[in-house]
Order: sequence, then structure tokens, then C-alpha cells
Amino acid sequence: MSNNEAKFILSAYRPGGGDAADPAMAKALTQAKTDPSLGAWFAREQAHDAAVAGKLREITPPVGLREAILAGARASRNEMSRATTAAVTTQRAWWAQPVWLAAAAAVAVLLSLAAWRMSPVRGEAFEEFAVNFVDKGFMLQKRGADVAALKTWLGEQHGPLPEALPAKFADLHALGCRKLSFKGQDVSLMCFERDGKEFHVFVARVDGVDSAGADRAPRFLDGQKGGHVAATWADAKNRYVLVSDAKLDAVRQLL
Amino acid sequence: MSNPVFTQLVDEHYTSLYRFALSLARREADACDLVQQTFYIWATKGDALREETKAKSWLFTTLYREFLRGRRRDARATSIEDLPPGEQDIAAEEVDRVAKMDAATVVVALQAVEETFRAPLTLFYLEDLSYLEIAEALDVPIGTVMSRLSRGKTQLRAALQREEAEGKTKVVSFNEAARRKQA
Repeated sequence: MSNNEAKFILSAYRPGGGDAADPAMAKALTQAKTDPSLGAWFAREQAHDAAVAGKLREITPPVGLREAILAGARASRNEMSRATTAAVTTQRAWWAQPVWLAAAAAVAVLLSLAAWRMSPVRGEAFEEFAVNFVDKGFMLQKRGADVAALKTWLGEQHGPLPEALPAKFADLHALGCRKLSFKGQDVSLMCFERDGKEFHVFVARVDGVDSAGADRAPRFLDGQKGGHVAATWADAKNRYVLVSDAKLDAVRQLL
Repeated sequence: MSNPVFTQLVDEHYTSLYRFALSLARREADACDLVQQTFYIWATKGDALREETKAKSWLFTTLYREFLRGRRRDARATSIEDLPPGEQDIAAEEVDRVAKMDAATVVVALQAVEETFRAPLTLFYLEDLSYLEIAEALDVPIGTVMSRLSRGKTQLRAALQREEAEGKTKVVSFNEAARRKQA
């Protein structure tokens, strides 16, 4: 093996020594121990690789990503559960054989995934749309705990910005935000969390959605789809809908 | 898969997956979407499709495929691979250069590496997968992984040198560096 061949192989040797037991590396490693020039190259290569790997380990995911993943999985499990229930109640015949059941399960998974990704969220009223949107599950477009930064991002996307959120929102931990559309109108969504419960605030301009009956005093809607609680209110510029999986009392205290 | 098992899976791998996604997608929001989408696919496909011992490779593979699915392939990728091998020797001062840089600048340099080389290179530096597992995850032959690592490292060193020359080694927050890259 020439030194160039050995270098080629040793380029794939992880700096942490994770490949020490790999037989394919053994010959090149032995050569690096006996050939001074190759050994010196390998030492520098490993030091450089270790330095880069160390820097990469310093990068941490944004706050809220873990919670967003787990929340998304919960939403998808609900979808799966509905698909499974529908399959079980179907009359069993030749298609009840394991191979067809497996195929059906695969199709259900694909349909579930496709439905989750592609089907539009429905809702005639703004609050109905907001509950359905949360119940279906969604992804945040901007993550972070800094509410001011989230509002800046929403502003850059030309999304409606809340004039002022209720003071007790300061006790919540912001997860992130996204922009969406309801009946062709821009809607901003800001998401918060406290004690494992999520609070999603939808913001639309009052002249963009039907705001009849919306007042500064919040109106509460218990027992919504998926067991969610909703509250809706308005100010001079915006109409708001809060959707949460917390209990009604907790939502009342927040507003 | 039960909730505690899924949570454990997320806790074990989401950080490495995020770092991999960030090197590929370059934008924080896109990286987060890739990681979320990867775990979503895991959650919806259930535990019947995979052995949990292979979860790590499966997650990296799925994230990479989702990334490829989300954008058109770089037309230059093939021609880059046809280039002759780069200079493999490394000067001692290059190690010091990396040590003095902040993590964000190193990531920006990594993001400057052509994507064909960046994917295996990032997986290599994450140290979660062996070159054999990287080959499996990216669906390329083992020799190709080694070749891409070698060439990728050459590109990375050049990018690090450029970052240093441009005076970008000052300490900045990662988000700031990422924004600067996007600008």
C-alpha cells in the first residue's frame, strides 16, 4: 500500500477513535505507525479533524425544537389512531390475511402522511379554523423563545402583529411562530408553552376576517375538537383566537 | 412505539440530526423542518418497519433523503467529482486556525463546502456513523465516501482559510453567523 493509498483510507478514520476496531483500517494504521512521514501526516489530520468535530459539537439546536418534535409526533399519533380505528371496524374477508393487512397499514400510513401534509384545514369561522389547524398538527417556521424576535420575523413576512398580548403571556415560554392564510387573509400564529401545555395565538386583521361579535372581552369556547379550549377577542386592529390543550380555567386565568 | 421510547429516541438523536440538517440546509428554520419531518416519518411509520438498533442510521438516511427531495440537485455536483484529487497534506498552523475560531465560523466554512462532499463530511465530523454507515446512509459505495471525505476536507480547509482571511474569526453568535451567510 502506498502512502497515498493509506492517506485515502485514513481520511475516513474518525478522530474519536471510533474506527479503531475496523479491520479495513488496520493495515493503513500499522503503516502510519512505522512510516514517520505518514505518521506525522496522520497526527496532523487527526488533530485537525478533532478540532472541527469539537467545534461542531458546540452547535446546539434552537430552543423549542425538541418540544416541537414531540408535539408533532403526538399530533401524528392521533391521526394514526383514527386510521387504525377505521381499519378495525371494516368487515374482514380475504383481505384480512396478514399480507393484505400489512399492505393496508402501509397505505393508511401513506394516506395519513399525505393527508397531513396536503389537505387544507377547513373552518368557516376564524376560531373554528384555528382549532382545526392546531388539531391537525403543524410545523413552526420560526423557532425561538424571544417574543420580540418572533414579532420581527412575522413583520418581515408581512403577517399581522399583535398590538399587545395579555400581560400574563409574559409567564409563558415562547416556542416559535409561523404565517398562514385564512380565506386569503394573512394570519400570524405565535406558540407558547407552560407546564407541558401549549397555547397557540392566531392573529388576523379585523378587516380581513368576520369580526362580528368579537369584543375586547374574551369569549371562551370549551370542548372544541381534539379536546381543545379556544378563546377569541379583538382590539382596534386585530382579531385573536387562542387555542390550547390546557383546561378552561388555566386559559381564563391567562386572559 | 410508546411515548417514552419515542421521547428517548428524540433526546438521543435530535441534536446530531439538527447539526447535520444545518450543514445541509444552511438555514436554521429549514434545518428544524428537516429534523421535525424526519421524526414525523418515524412516528407515522411505527416501530414495525425498523429495528430500533438501526434507528440512528435510519434517521440520518431519512433526513438526507428528505433534504434531497426538497430541492433540485446541484447540476455541478458530478463535474466536481471528476476533478483530480486535491492536495491532502495539512499544515500544522491549520489546526491552530480551527482551534482559534468560534464554532459558528467553522460551521459557516463547512456550509461553503459543495453539498456532494458536505453531507459525508458533516456525518464524519459528527462521529455518530462510521464510513460504512455513512455509505449506507447516503447510498453510495464505500470508496466514494472516502473520496468525498478527502476532497471535502480539502474544500473545508480552503473555506476556513478564506474565513480567516476575511476577518470573520471574531466571536459572533451562531444565529448572526447564519444570517450573515444567508445575506
